[in-house]
Amino acid sequence: MSHLSEEQLDQIIAAERSREQAPLNEWRTVAARAREEGLIRDSQSSRRWASSQPWLQSAAAVLLLVGGVAIGRATIALPSAVEDSTVSATPPAMTATSANKPSGSAPSSASFASVDEASAALNQAVDAYQRASEFLAVNNASVGSGDSVAMYSARAAALDKIENATVSALRTAPHDPVLNQYYLATMGARVATQQMVARPVGLRGF
Amino acid sequence: MPFDQLDLKRAIAGDERAMQRLWSQHAPHIDAVVRRLCDDSELAADISQEVWMQIFRALPSYRGDSQFGTWAHRIAVNRTLNALRKIRRIAKLEVDIEDDSAITEQDSDRTFVAESIEQAMTKLSPGARTVFVLHDIEGYTHGEIGEELGITSGGSKSQLFKARAKLKKLLAHLVDESSTVAVKGKGYVAPV
Repeated sequence: MSHLSEEQLDQIIAAERSREQAPLNEWRTVAARAREEGLIRDSQSSRRWASSQPWLQSAAAVLLLVGGVAIGRATIALPSAVEDSTVSATPPAMTATSANKPSGSAPSSASFASVDEASAALNQAVDAYQRASEFLAVNNASVGSGDSVAMYSARAAALDKIENATVSALRTAPHDPVLNQYYLATMGARVATQQMVARPVGLRGF
Repeated sequence: MPFDQLDLKRAIAGDERAMQRLWSQHAPHIDAVVRRLCDDSELAADISQEVWMQIFRALPSYRGDSQFGTWAHRIAVNRTLNALRKIRRIAKLEVDIEDDSAITEQDSDRTFVAESIEQAMTKLSPGARTVFVLHDIEGYTHGEIGEELGITSGGSKSQLFKARAKLKKLLAHLVDESSTVAVKGKGYVAPV
């Protein structure tokens, strides 16, 4: 039996080095072990991570409010549930930048004595926004044409692109408050838009 | 999508999806080195689990000084060699390092029809196999191997020489005309 040359052996080794091999275990096996050891903390830990960022919660609430109002006003020319001069018919990503501006119906930032007080005001505003949105969704039947469906679909597609862009940017700067605000605003607007598309004709509109 | 800093933070926090993404991306390479160092697939699967637990435990200590794959690979090698030591294979290896001629020569008269290098590697002595995998496949230097195994650089070179000599013999059928697998020029066709 002949022997391989050094060169031939090197070729075989190179092929072995680059050979793709399947993992030795399935993920569920590894995950079960990791869960057993407390290394996987299920989805609650992700929520805990997010909730451990107070500014993230606040930003989410503010942007839900402002973004939602912007969507409503951009959709139909109705009086806003919250009289807010800072919000206009701009894309959701742009409205996110106005999150730091005080709402017209809310006290100015200078009037808050504490973070708790500001948070309470924020919660009230969000609650008012949600109730107003529900009321308008039920009682406003002025918009409901095929055109609005196309408009909502176009908006959803645009929001998808914005979401992808912000997610991509967040990979580089995961704790950047501005990027997170844009991301949250986009997500909120995306969900609201999906709901509008799903809503029966005649009930679309805030 | 590559594993990144955001995934890393989430994996450290215990986010399963982030951990799975990390595993999916690196398991083929990490598990490959474990498989090559062990000559028993069941043992390799068990050790691989240990390796991944160690990687997940050590995630908070990953500083990003090197590529994640390189960092994880080092853990895999250390953990695998430790596991092999625990089951007394390395004890045998360390004896072999001094003089493994018994095993290698014992096999020299036998005819192996190794279908692949993976099978051929199982015919090497534990010491020669470990040195061969670390040096020729994983790219370790003889100095690094010496540190890992507690042997001299010269001992590592000696093991590698023996390993390659034996592999050339074991894989000779790859160039025989009667073989179904051929090495021609740069082409190497792995057996199905």
